[in-house]
Amino acid sequence: MAQSLTHGETALPADWRDLFALTKPRVMSLVVFTALCGLLAAPGEVHPVLAFSSILAIALGAGASGALNQWYEAGLDSKMKRTAGRPLPAGRLDRQTALQFGVGLAAFSLFLMLFASNWQATLLLLVSILFYVFVYTMWLKPRTPQNIVIGGAAGAFPPLIGWVAATGSIAPLPVLLFLLIFLWTPPHFWALALFVRSDYAAAGIPMMPVVAGEKSTRRQILFYAIIMAAGAIAPWALGLTGALYGWTAVILSALFVLLSIQVGTRATGDGDSMQPEKRLFAYSIAYLFILFGAVVADHWWPL
Amino acid sequence: MTDENSQEPSGQEPFDEAEYRRRQRSRANLMAWMLGGLAILFFFITIAKMQIFA
Repeated sequence: MAQSLTHGETALPADWRDLFALTKPRVMSLVVFTALCGLLAAPGEVHPVLAFSSILAIALGAGASGALNQWYEAGLDSKMKRTAGRPLPAGRLDRQTALQFGVGLAAFSLFLMLFASNWQATLLLLVSILFYVFVYTMWLKPRTPQNIVIGGAAGAFPPLIGWVAATGSIAPLPVLLFLLIFLWTPPHFWALALFVRSDYAAAGIPMMPVVAGEKSTRRQILFYAIIMAAGAIAPWALGLTGALYGWTAVILSALFVLLSIQVGTRATGDGDSMQPEKRLFAYSIAYLFILFGAVVADHWWPL
Repeated sequence: MTDENSQEPSGQEPFDEAEYRRRQRSRANLMAWMLGGLAILFFFITIAKMQIFA
């Protein structure tokens, strides 16, 4: 790893594109969107500059978490086809640069959040970064197939932080949005884990399909999808959102459960193209985007 | 800087000074733009806070 970086005594400076790739930009887009929805769904008005700065701080915090995750998992990433092309396993960046970049970005994101928003949101951002790096990446992921279940909390923080950045306090709706992402994470990741199972097995990561087998994973995807659907409809049932969100949640969650039934009840043979699993994975991303968009739409234009 | 005439250890690529300079320049440019952007952002955050707490 990283053998191509040094030339005698001189190291090539890291290319900015590789530093950018360390932040997992695609994951960041979902983080930014859910955080923005949390902020926009909050009561009251936030100054646009402060709102922008808070979202930027959350994005940078997520980027820092991604960079520190890649720094720690560089060895594992080199064993998986899906991740072998990342800057560290591909040898385009050295680990020390990645660590410094991650820590620096994390510190800056916290400073920006504190300056633009409030200490409560800053504290939550700090907890989310520490949870992702220490609890999920270092502790849970290499040890237990429940890594995604508990670690899902790390990805569930953004809407909560967005809300707290706007209001300075926690309320039931952002807690339910936190819960929604928390419950969404297992079926989302296990659908992916089913079709990249051999990758995880090669890297020795105890993902559910590797440890408990495919059949058990499929059953658990269905189980979590049903609880997640209940969690998605809960804000409407509890009167925290209106019918626009409610019906969107009902229809989209029903489709999610239907796709999960397809995945949960089938058995695969050798050479299976895993289309239902890929479909569920792709749909789960669209599901979260649309549902969070509906939270904001419902807040702005209640039916 | 390495001596371009010196022998590289086996398995290592020859040092590419042009690539080194290109990366240095692109990072310096990016850093300048980012610092400029942050200065402007911090200015507007300060103004926004002054408006809120006025």
